[in-house]
Amino acid sequence: MSEPVLVLDRLKKTFGDFTAVHEMSLTVPRGSVYGFLGPNGAGKTTTLRMTLAIYAPTSGSISILGHPSALEVRDRIGYLPEEKGLYKKMTGRDLIAYFASLKGMKGRDARVRAGELLDKYGLGEFKDRKCEALSKGMGQKVQVLASIAHRPEFVIFDEPFSGLDPVNQQVLEDVIRDLQRDGTTIIFSTHIMEHAERLCDRLVLIARGRMLFDGTVPEARRMIPRRLIIQTQVNPEALRHVTGVTGLRALGKDDKFEVTLAEGADADRVLAACFQNGISLRSFDRSEPNLRDVFLKLVGAEDAEEVLS
Amino acid sequence: MRNAWLVAGREYGENVRTKGFWIGILIFPILITIGIKAESWLERVKPTRNFVVVDQSGKFDSAIETALARLQEKAIAREFQSYMTRYSATPKTPTAEQSDQMKAGQAAKVDFEQMSEAEAKGTIAFTLISGGLKPNAPPFETPRSLFRQVPAPEGVDTTVAPGAIAEALRPFLRGDRKITVDGEEAELFATLIIPKDVDALVERPGEKRKKRVDRDGAQFWSTNLADSDLREELERAINEEQRRVEYVARGLDGKTVEAVQQTKVPLARFDPKKAAGAEEVSIADQIRQWAPAGFVYLLWISIFSISQMLLNNTIEEKSNRLIEVLLSSVTSWELMVGKLVGIAGVGMTMLGAWLGFLVAILAINSGPEAKVATSLLEVLKTSGLLPAFVVYFLLGYLLYGAIFLALGSVCNTLKEAQNMMQPVVLIMIVPLMTMMFIPKDPNGTLATVLSWIPIYTPFVMMNRAAASPPMFEIVGTSVLLALTVAFTLWLSGRIFRIGVLRTGQPPKLMELVNWLRS
Repeated sequence: MSEPVLVLDRLKKTFGDFTAVHEMSLTVPRGSVYGFLGPNGAGKTTTLRMTLAIYAPTSGSISILGHPSALEVRDRIGYLPEEKGLYKKMTGRDLIAYFASLKGMKGRDARVRAGELLDKYGLGEFKDRKCEALSKGMGQKVQVLASIAHRPEFVIFDEPFSGLDPVNQQVLEDVIRDLQRDGTTIIFSTHIMEHAERLCDRLVLIARGRMLFDGTVPEARRMIPRRLIIQTQVNPEALRHVTGVTGLRALGKDDKFEVTLAEGADADRVLAACFQNGISLRSFDRSEPNLRDVFLKLVGAEDAEEVLS
Repeated sequence: MRNAWLVAGREYGENVRTKGFWIGILIFPILITIGIKAESWLERVKPTRNFVVVDQSGKFDSAIETALARLQEKAIAREFQSYMTRYSATPKTPTAEQSDQMKAGQAAKVDFEQMSEAEAKGTIAFTLISGGLKPNAPPFETPRSLFRQVPAPEGVDTTVAPGAIAEALRPFLRGDRKITVDGEEAELFATLIIPKDVDALVERPGEKRKKRVDRDGAQFWSTNLADSDLREELERAINEEQRRVEYVARGLDGKTVEAVQQTKVPLARFDPKKAAGAEEVSIADQIRQWAPAGFVYLLWISIFSISQMLLNNTIEEKSNRLIEVLLSSVTSWELMVGKLVGIAGVGMTMLGAWLGFLVAILAINSGPEAKVATSLLEVLKTSGLLPAFVVYFLLGYLLYGAIFLALGSVCNTLKEAQNMMQPVVLIMIVPLMTMMFIPKDPNGTLATVLSWIPIYTPFVMMNRAAASPPMFEIVGTSVLLALTVAFTLWLSGRIFRIGVLRTGQPPKLMELVNWLRS
């Protein structure tokens, strides 16, 4: 096991009286895709900026690629900030090449690489179009490509999916998967649970400057009870006595009921019990709890609403 | 430092590629050329001026003709002078005759305006025959007449009293009505009215001065009294004619008088200073005194406009958050230095082009007939104004550029920046206001005091550059300026570092002070 790409140790940031990030500790292993989830103002961006040495932490320490400051290894890091902007008068190719050369690539290599990336991710014909003439989605893709053109070992994307249409979201997922395949370590923050679910090995959940959860996606799922949704016109009260069932409640519409299960319980037992007790099912949904539910539980309804909206 | 160069390269490339930059570069030589050529162009496009002569005495027909002929000679002479300036080929080894002629010409400053038409033509012919022209010279074209005598407009009774005629012509002269010349509408430029009893009004020495009645004598009417060519020639011709008549009246033969009038002692004009080349120097001196003011203006414009570029693109990067990407790749110091260097390059390119154009245009237009251009060129070559300009430009730009960068870094929109810039602009206006006073007393108290204020040093010292201020002041103010530049850069660096990532309201002054302490 190689050394972790990023270790945050009790990292704290205050702005005047306001504490944006309370002591946060985190270890990002090499090659992992790490999701940062949390409502607006949770401290995600501040944490990422400290990681990148754009902000100096108030206290605590950082080890990034084995160095105490991102400045020493900035050529090995790629960063896409939350708010997206481009130099309007530059062409996509020039812009990507410029940022790549700021990261140490040779001018000609950077230009070749910029062209390749644009071709690969469907912007080939817009290579020499000025950024001001690109659509918002295209511009955002250019910016994503600009952040990875120098083949960084470690990429930080702040809200990469926001503002993209489904087609471009898919392209971005491809980008992330390609990076992962090449062994790149990725952190990205997002509001969109589905992306986190599909892409992340591990998750961090942040709200109000505090870390609420750090673990794998299955671990996150385990944070809340597993549940089944059954649909039946028969009263399913009998299911309460099935081993592993911890709760049963009506969902109030369409004859739906929620059956909560203890950890490790077998959903098939519930199905068998239904047959035994003559509960005729119109549907049986053994849906895994999704991150949305995890969120609701951990963040609280008020903050979660903001996140999930 | 590689990153700073990359930033500089991008800033340079982006700004140099804008249309505004090229317009800025090209408009300058166009303005200079217009400035130099304007007079002759204006002369050329001046419409033919129509005038009416009402000569009730009937005595002055020939005099009017003479006046017109002389005006035409003048025009030919002027045209020929500029023609020769452009096309005369100075022979490499002039023949003795040519060389004599040239010497005489130079020494006597051949003055076509004083020549008769015949003489002028003779000189032209001489030059043309003597092969003094460049091979590709086009043939000399006689210019069109600038003045044209036209009959009184229809409906104006020319037999009534002069006052009444003038009244009748007034609307034409004021441009309210047009006259018709060759079927086309035209403006009436002037009217000369000579009353019937003009003889009785002639003033003669020894005679009792005649009682002045309103508008007595000949009357010249024109709304444009500044263009005096026509009036002067008419007056001269009429009086010559009158005098000729008087000679005849006293028994002298008209032919004799004419012949006598044309005798002439050739008079060559010499300037005692000229032998030492001093006459040229006096113009050069003037230029030496005033050229710095021009450079101050150029310095001011260029520093202000390119500092503005720094402000604008800092705000652009801030408002679209590009700054974050940049700061994950370069340090804020590298970014700031890169911007300063890149925009300095833009400014140097612009000034280089301007000065290049200036020198080139002066060189093309300089020659015996364009003393100002020649002297200015000479002053630029010899006076050290140009190196001083480059040094003061760089130091001044760094000083103001650092201030504008810091300003840009704390603002989110141009509007905010404009509010904060107002005090800076007010402070910057001072050297413009003193620009014209300082050359009059370049080493006086005002100039000296302002020189020691670092934000004014580049402008004021540039202003004084030609007056050789004491070496102590040149070195002292420059050192002080350089120190101030270094300090301002350091200060701006700190503000910039914090400011560029800040969003929301621009900071209060106290907040800024805290930033500097942190």
